[in-house]
Amino acid sequence: MNGFLRAAAVARKDLRVEWRGRQTITATGMVALLMILLLGFVVGSEPARAAAILWVAMGFAAVLGIPRVTQGEVDQQALEILLLYPGSREHLFWGKCAALTVMLSALLVALLVLLGVLFGVDVWDHGGALVGVGALGIVGLSVIGTLLAALVLHVRGRELLMPLLLLPLALPVVLGCVRLTEAILTGTAAGLWPAVLVSFDVVSVLVCPILFEVVMDEV
Amino acid sequence: MTAQTGLGAVAVLLLGIAAYVSLFASPPDAFQGEYVRIMYAHVPNAWVAYLAFAITFAASVLYLWKRRPAYDHLAHSATELGVLFTGLALATGSIWGRPVWGTWWTWDARLVTTAMLFLIYTTALLVRGLSDDPLRGARLAAVIGIVGFLDVPIIHYSVVWFRTLHQPASIAPGSLKIAPPMLLALMLSLLAFTVLFMYLLRLRTSLARLEAGGEMR
Repeated sequence: MNGFLRAAAVARKDLRVEWRGRQTITATGMVALLMILLLGFVVGSEPARAAAILWVAMGFAAVLGIPRVTQGEVDQQALEILLLYPGSREHLFWGKCAALTVMLSALLVALLVLLGVLFGVDVWDHGGALVGVGALGIVGLSVIGTLLAALVLHVRGRELLMPLLLLPLALPVVLGCVRLTEAILTGTAAGLWPAVLVSFDVVSVLVCPILFEVVMDEV
Repeated sequence: MTAQTGLGAVAVLLLGIAAYVSLFASPPDAFQGEYVRIMYAHVPNAWVAYLAFAITFAASVLYLWKRRPAYDHLAHSATELGVLFTGLALATGSIWGRPVWGTWWTWDARLVTTAMLFLIYTTALLVRGLSDDPLRGARLAAVIGIVGFLDVPIIHYSVVWFRTLHQPASIAPGSLKIAPPMLLALMLSLLAFTVLFMYLLRLRTSLARLEAGGEMR
């Protein structure tokens, strides 16, 4: 079994567990919905605010959803067994990361539809571009998120530490996605933002799997 | 007299000279008047903070590679001092910004990046303290020390571009033309703070070593 198949097996397992319970996606979806409703009501639901509100909601949903990827394993004492299986820990990383990417992408699509309804922005015509930009951001969020989820696993007060770590570290993702989403919705130039997102993704993809192995050492 | 005490004495001496030159021997600024003297405390704080995080990064990489406790003691000490000096840089910057810019805080890229650094490295200390065992804490803190430092340039440029689309960049203190006596005062302050930092780092590192030894016994 090669590395790709191993990673795919982990991703498939994570997604199947999630599909049977649908707890993480429901909880994060509800939080994102709540954030959008609250922010839309408090700061106003003009189309110009849609991009910022969408990605703040995505950021907070990610903070809540990401730790669940590894938390589930610990609750069932499955992590030790998972680590005992032959193969590199990097495959485990990519499997978890892929499952997270799928979940966050599903959330993004749902929130975009919601945004089209609540904020009167034209998400229908630009759907492809919006999801494409979102995918760039979600890859970055998932990669660094998978590392951080493993990192806070054996630390007390992990629910508190996750936002403290993820939000400052993933700030470029949130800022970049806000500006790119705005650019798509208003038809203005994207500037250097694709480069920001791509460089964040590249750095994360290069560094996080290596550090994941360090974090998963001697669990 | 040990080398450590000697370094401390040099730091105190340099700080005294730097304080005299900054407060009395250098002229007031043409635009900022006496307020420019806050710069001689602010810029060295920020410089030392960045230096500390660079040391944290290098020591974290070395620790994860060689797994020698000495590198972890260095990383831990540098992180603590970095957080302290980042806090001081933010505070002195705020005190300087109030009379010169007319505001305690502005959404300038440097300010936001520095605030983010403060949060990331404070969390690294929290993660270390809240871990089940000290060895794991050391490893996790090293991971954050590496990710955080690599993320700094991306955070900085994203914050720069996020704001510059809306408003012209704020006055950056570094872009001011600087007169030779003022440059001398600034350089002296930078030197004094760097030596002070080295002294504190040595002190904190040996304390970390003693603490670790105490735990093992």
